[in-house]
This record gives sequence, structure tokens and C-alpha cells, in this order.
Amino acid sequence: MGIEDEAERRLSREDLLKLAAAAGGATLLAGPVGTARAALERLTAESGRLQVMDWAGYGNDGGQAMFAQYVKRYPSNKPRFTYMTNESDALAKLHAGLKADLFRPYVGWVKYFATSGLVQPWNPKLISNFKYLNPFMVKAGQYNGQQYGIPDDWGFDAILYRSDKVQPRSRSWGLIFDDRYKGKIAWFDDLNMITLAGLYLGMKNPWNQSDSELKRSQSFLKSKKSLVRLIWSSETNLWEAFGSGDLWIAYAWPNDWVQMKKKGLKVVYMRPKEKPIAWVGMLMLLKGTPRYNLAHAYVDAWSSTKSAKWLEDNYGYGHANIRARPSSSDLLKVLRLTNPRAVTEPNAHLDRDIPRRAVYARLWEEVKAS
Amino acid sequence: MAVAEARDPPAHLRRRRRLRLDLTTPALLSPPLLWLAVFFVVPIAIVAAYSFDVYSLDPGPHGFTLDAWRAFAHSSVYLALFWKSVKMSLSVSAVIVLLAYPLAYYLALSGTKRKYVLLLLLIAPFLTSYLLRVLAWKVILGNQGVINSFLYWTGLRSADHPLSQLLYSRFAVMLVLGYIWLPFVALPIFVSLESLDRRLLEAASDLGASRLQAFRRVTLPLSMPGVVAAFLFVFIPTLGEFVTPSLVGGASGYMYGNQIVDLFGTGFPDWETGSVLALFLLGVVALLTVVFARFLQPRQVAAD
Amino acid sequence: MDVALSKNGARLLRAFFGSVVVFLYAPILILLIFSFNDSPVPSFPLGGFTLHWYHQFLTNSELKGALGTSAIVAALSSAGAVVLGLLAALALTRRRIYAKPAISALLLSPLVIPYVVFGIALLLLFHTLGVPRSMLTVVIGHVVISLPYTILVLVPRLDQIDVTLEEAAYDLGAGRFPTFRLITLPLILPAVVSAFLIAFTTSFDEYAVASFVVGTRVTFPIYLYSALRFPNQLPQVIAVAVVVMVLSLAVVVAAEVGRRIAERRLGAVVE
Repeated sequence: MGIEDEAERRLSREDLLKLAAAAGGATLLAGPVGTARAALERLTAESGRLQVMDWAGYGNDGGQAMFAQYVKRYPSNKPRFTYMTNESDALAKLHAGLKADLFRPYVGWVKYFATSGLVQPWNPKLISNFKYLNPFMVKAGQYNGQQYGIPDDWGFDAILYRSDKVQPRSRSWGLIFDDRYKGKIAWFDDLNMITLAGLYLGMKNPWNQSDSELKRSQSFLKSKKSLVRLIWSSETNLWEAFGSGDLWIAYAWPNDWVQMKKKGLKVVYMRPKEKPIAWVGMLMLLKGTPRYNLAHAYVDAWSSTKSAKWLEDNYGYGHANIRARPSSSDLLKVLRLTNPRAVTEPNAHLDRDIPRRAVYARLWEEVKAS
Repeated sequence: MAVAEARDPPAHLRRRRRLRLDLTTPALLSPPLLWLAVFFVVPIAIVAAYSFDVYSLDPGPHGFTLDAWRAFAHSSVYLALFWKSVKMSLSVSAVIVLLAYPLAYYLALSGTKRKYVLLLLLIAPFLTSYLLRVLAWKVILGNQGVINSFLYWTGLRSADHPLSQLLYSRFAVMLVLGYIWLPFVALPIFVSLESLDRRLLEAASDLGASRLQAFRRVTLPLSMPGVVAAFLFVFIPTLGEFVTPSLVGGASGYMYGNQIVDLFGTGFPDWETGSVLALFLLGVVALLTVVFARFLQPRQVAAD
Repeated sequence: MDVALSKNGARLLRAFFGSVVVFLYAPILILLIFSFNDSPVPSFPLGGFTLHWYHQFLTNSELKGALGTSAIVAALSSAGAVVLGLLAALALTRRRIYAKPAISALLLSPLVIPYVVFGIALLLLFHTLGVPRSMLTVVIGHVVISLPYTILVLVPRLDQIDVTLEEAAYDLGAGRFPTFRLITLPLILPAVVSAFLIAFTTSFDEYAVASFVVGTRVTFPIYLYSALRFPNQLPQVIAVAVVVMVLSLAVVVAAEVGRRIAERRLGAVVE
């Protein structure tokens, strides 16, 4: 943090012009000196680069188009990225003292972070694109009536398989547990596999299983583990193995399907009859951030229709902005983008809070160890 | 482990030094010892503290408890995983020690003139990048990797039937670990064979023993310390391995070290259990080191 | 008649040695071949010859940043390890120490600790103390790891030197530090350089411990590890791999050869 921030602290010429405009405009409504000072304060109070903690692919490693509008408006507050490999990694980094302004956990963690004391709610009035966001997803980002999470990217967890190698018995999650394809299956490295096992075994509430249900789910997974070739945690690891033919069946996201198609493989993204699981990325604002307004501006850029379309066209994910439509009709179909209820029941199981997350985590680690 | 004893300073200097308060030794030893105390001993103590829940990641109430240790001892999973890692490490270590012995024998006892050059040739790969050598195997073993594409190219196998269990398997992990450590393992065996007094072999021959008998009765027993040292030098690090398994192991090549890393990183961090597992591994390693201490004398290792 | 090996036995072993060397170097050679291969996927049949990947990594600022970070971390930690190691080695070879076996065991103990345990221990230490992870935390960890290596290189050389040379200096009235500076240091310099290079290559290549305590500026191994999972970056990474490996091989060989030559020329060895 040193020289760059010093330079940014000095007002750029552009800022001065904006300031003059703001001061000029404000003068019409109130006293000259006071409003000029207020405008000056608003701009200079928030300085330095915006500290964003985000997933790989969403920063300067490919996701620049998503926040290009923000960078254009606030070139001296360009985002600086720290990567989070998953929510616990983010949690650990925050506990270790990382000073971030905003980060992106997924919908299942909204309640956890909202009650953790680490985050503060957004002010939707400061986000111009807020009104275009899918209302079901917006609701999923609320806790206690406050908007803790702003939804942007979303997608499904479903099954990706090679249509030229695999004949599923039925359109079901059972394909990733299919004995016929031993050594060709990939699972996802996440405690949600326990949830999924519960879903497949027909439990009423897989996100809040009882002890006996958990035992069943875990032993089911353990019994099927020998069929699994790879338990992937990074998408690119999945693409490598799938693309080279080492895998034929995988628990995967829509973007993985898009990427495999690009490689020329004959792949199908299956919607299981038990319904896919839906996930929504929720941008959350950290407490005590000195860049409150800048953070809102960043989120606004991410939520714009232009950015939304870019995400759908390039990353194969959905975007909460309901005005955005991807160029690919295949993607439109797979994500059911014309249906605003695509992520909620009865179409899909939206990821939700897991009250006994620590228990699920331990059980999943044991499955991996077995 | 003990470094070679220093010779006592001669008498006239000793007398002179006794007259002054000699702070040299503490001055020399404090910086390194202090560094190790703060950045080696204390961290391990902190791991212990986390394993007993004296420290905790969660802000909730906590205090000294053996719960995590009890759960570890009673769990079928963690100890089974540890045993799986032990078996993998044992196999790898045994195989490469067996392979390294003839190499060291050739270098030390065949009378070749360029033995140190050849030794360096053998060791050099070990001193290049670990990750890059694992990468090389990833390139070689995959379904479209070097081995398989070579087989298709030469028509030995059709493109529909690759040798597909090469990568992402227990086999891949053991192969790569063996490849990584093979050069290093030859060194202690070489050292102990080199210090072998050839006159013993000559005497054996004079007494009518065949070369094979001489080997069995003289060379092998005398080189045993080097062999045991070599075995331990590969067994101990591979026991805690997590990098290679994570790159080429897939689901079945998952080892004890991976579990420790996962408990601190993915899913939902469980520092208490992770600390227990880490400390258990450390305990086993410490036990092995103490029991086999005399084989681990740096004398066995330092080639010169 | 050779008592250890028959002629056939020697021939057999030589062949075996040769094939093992081939096995050891083949993967490295394969990487070399594919670094020039004109194809985004490293597999047979080979595409054409290209220098594209080398050019690509030379313009990859993230990669160059990681290399630079690793170089700085390695330089700092090696310097630290050599200084601390020299102090320890001097004490071990020139002084009488109470409980010497225990002290030397402690000094060498980082050799046997599994890096996963040590990495986690450091993580917990810094977390508990509230120290943010950064290049400095990596340097600290690498000093601990390299310390035994530097001691193991310096102690034999210090033992080798004729102590009477130093004693003569004391007799002539020289103090301890000038003696060290003027007599001991020049004689052990090749070993000091060797220790530094060993510590440097150890730190430069170290992934396990660094992965736990690295901050936002990643080291080269950490960059490499994540790049290994990006198939489109693979050819570039292979090109870097070849360069780094060739360089480290050259450094290792040069260091060892250089040390032997220098020490032989310096002499001053105890008979």
C-alpha cells in the first residue's frame, strides 16, 4: 500500500472537474461553501483502491469486463483483488485480518455472514441497477429485512456427461453414483455432496438432516467413493481431466458445459429429475469499510445489463439482471433464463443455509479420507 | 543427532579463557537457538494448544479438553487414512531403496574413475524443482498424455482404449513420489558403502568366500546403517506428503497430509481436528527419529 | 580379480545405472521437447517447432512477478540461514557446549518435521499473534527450513580447517572477530557460498510451507501450482519449467564444482 495510494490521495484533474460540477450543482440547493465542502468530503473521504475479495476469474484475470464501468468512473480507485478459493478461505482470511471492502460468498452463506458481525447491509438506493435484479434472488440475499447480499452471478449444480460414452439409466442424480462408470466419475469437493446424497436418497430436508439421516448420507457416499476418479475443487482441474478423456461424468456448473463444448466434445448438461441445485453469488459489504460508496458503485457496475450479458456470453453463468439475454440459445435453454423462477422451487433447489455446517464439513472430510 | 565433536582448545588457551567471563558461546548460539525457539518450537506448541482447544478459531467458549483426541482415537476414518498413507510410503520407500542400492554399489565399489561426477549426475534432478518434475509426470500420464498418445500414434492401442488408470490414482502418486526421491536415496547408501574397507572383502575372498557370500556376510551388514538412513530419509517426508497426491492422486490417491490441509482450508475449517492430526503425524515422526537416531547421524548423509 | 564385482556384474550394474539415469532425465527431456511444441496440448503427435511459449512467458507479468518475489524471498532467507548457520557452526566446532547432542539435535530438527505440520504451525503462530501473512512470513519459514542445511555444509568445512591457524592468530594478539574475519572466513568462503546456494535453491523451490504463510504476493512455486490447473497456461508453464530447471542444474553443478576447486586451492586442511 504505499506509493500508489499516495498518488491516488491527491485529487486527479478529473476529480476536480467532478467536484466542481457537484459543488456547482449543490450550490443551487444550498449554501455555497457548505455544499462544496460536502461534495469534496464525499469524494475525498473515500480514497485508495477498492479491496475486493473474489473468486478466480472474476478479477483482473479475465473478469475485467464485469466492472469496466466502475474503473472508467473511478480510475483512481481501481479494484485490487485478493482471491478466495471458497467461503471458508474467505472467512479465514478475514479472521486473519485481511482488510477487504467487499467479497462474494454464495447464497447458502448469507445467513451465516449476516449474523457473523463481519458484514453490513447494502443500501439498495445507491445501486441504480438494483431494480432489474431477479426478485427471487434478491429475496434470497436478505436477512432480517436487510439486504445483505446483492445477487449477480448464478447457475446450477447438475451433471455433465459425455453423450458419446455414457447412457444414463434415467435423468437422475444417480448417474454420478452409477456403478457402470467406475473410474470415470468426478464429484465436487464441497460438503454439499452430503446435501446431495440426502436429496438423492429422498430426504425431506437435505440441508438440515438429522443424525441418522446424516449417517445414511455419509455411508452412501462412502460406499460409492470407489467409483470416483477425481474430487475436483478447481474448475480448471475438472476441464483438464474431462477434456483429456479421463472423466466422462461430472458434478458440474453450466460454464463447465460451455467450456467442454468449446473443446468439441459431445457433452450434455443434464437436469436431474430430482432437480438441480441452484447457487447464486452474493456480493456482501464488509463492516468498517472506508469505501462505502465506492463499493456500491462497484456492485452497480457488476449488476448492469451490459456486464450481465457479458457474463452469460463468456462464462456460461446466469446473471440476476433479468434484462440480460445471452447470445447462445443453448445457454438460454439450459439456464431457463426466460423463467425468473428458474432458481427456486419447484424448478431447482436453491442453496440455503446449513445450520449444522460444521457437522456436514466433518462428515465430508471423512468421506474424502475413506 | 549430533554433529562431530569439536576438539578441545589447547591448554594454554584454555587457561587464558578461564580468567574472563566468556560470553562467546551464548553470543554465538543465542541467535540461531532463539530463532528456532520462536519460529519452530513455539508454533508447534501452539498447534498442541489448538488440538486441546486451549486456543480456538471459533470465538465461542473453549478450554482444555481431550475431546478432539478421543474422537481421533475412536474414529475409524483418520487412523485408517493414516495407515493407508503408511502403506503407500512404505511401498515407495522400500522399492526405491532396493533400486538405489545397486546404483550406490556401482558408484562406490566398482572402482569407476568418475564416481563423484556420476553421483552428481544422479543427484542433480533432485535439486531441481519438485513441482516441475510432478508436472512432467502429469504431462506423461494423462489420457492424452505422452504415454497414451505415443501408444495411439504407434498403433499399439486404439484411441478408444487408453491406459486410463495411470493418472489420478494411487499408482500415480507412488510412481511420482518414487521418481522424486530416488536420487536422494542413493546418497546415504553410497556414503556407507564408500567407507567400507575393501580389505575386509579381500580377506573374505582370501578365506574362500565367493563374491556373493562376501556381499551377504560383509558388505550388506556393514552398509545397513546407510540403508536404514536412506529408508527413513524417504519414508518420513512421504508420510506427510500432500502436494503430489493433490496433483496426480485424484480421489483414490488421497493421503493423510491432504486431510490435514483440508481441515485447515476447505469446506469449513476445523482447526482443532486438523491440529490433532498434525500433532499425531509429528509424534510418529519424532518417535521414528528417536528410535532410529543413530542411523540418522549426519555423518551418514554428508558426502564429501 | 575384483573382490566386489565381477566383470559381468559391473557391466550389468553399469547398464542398470545408465537406465536409471535415463529414467530420471527422460521426463525433464520430455518437458524440454514440449516446450518447443507448436500445440496447446502436450501430447503426441508433435506439432511444429515454435518459440511462442517462451515468448509468451517472457511477457507474462504475473509470472515474472512471482519469479521476482521468489528471488527476493530466497535471497533474504538464505542470507538469514547462512548467518545463523555460521554462528551455530562456529559454536559447535570451536566451543565446548553443555548438552551438545541436545543442542545439535534441536538445530537440525527442522530436517525431519513434515512440511505440512510446520506450515500449519507457522500459520497458527501468525494467526494467533495477529501478524498478517506476507513475504516476510515466508522468509521466516524458509530460514528455519534452510538452517540445518547451512549448518551441515559449514560444520564439516570448519572441522576441516586447521585450527592452529586461528590459534596462531590469537597468539599474535588478534581478537576473536578479526581472527574470524581475516583467517577463518576466507578459508570457509567456498562453503559459505555453497550453503547460500543450497538455501537459495531450497527456498526458491519450496511450495508446502509457503502455501500456508504466503501473503498477496505469490512465490513462483505457488504460482506454478495454480497454473498447473490451467490447461491453457500449460505450454507457457512448461517453457518456464525448462528454463528454471536448466538454470538450477547449472547452478548446482557450478556450485559443487566451484566449491571443490576453491577448497582444494585454499588448502589449510587438517591432515
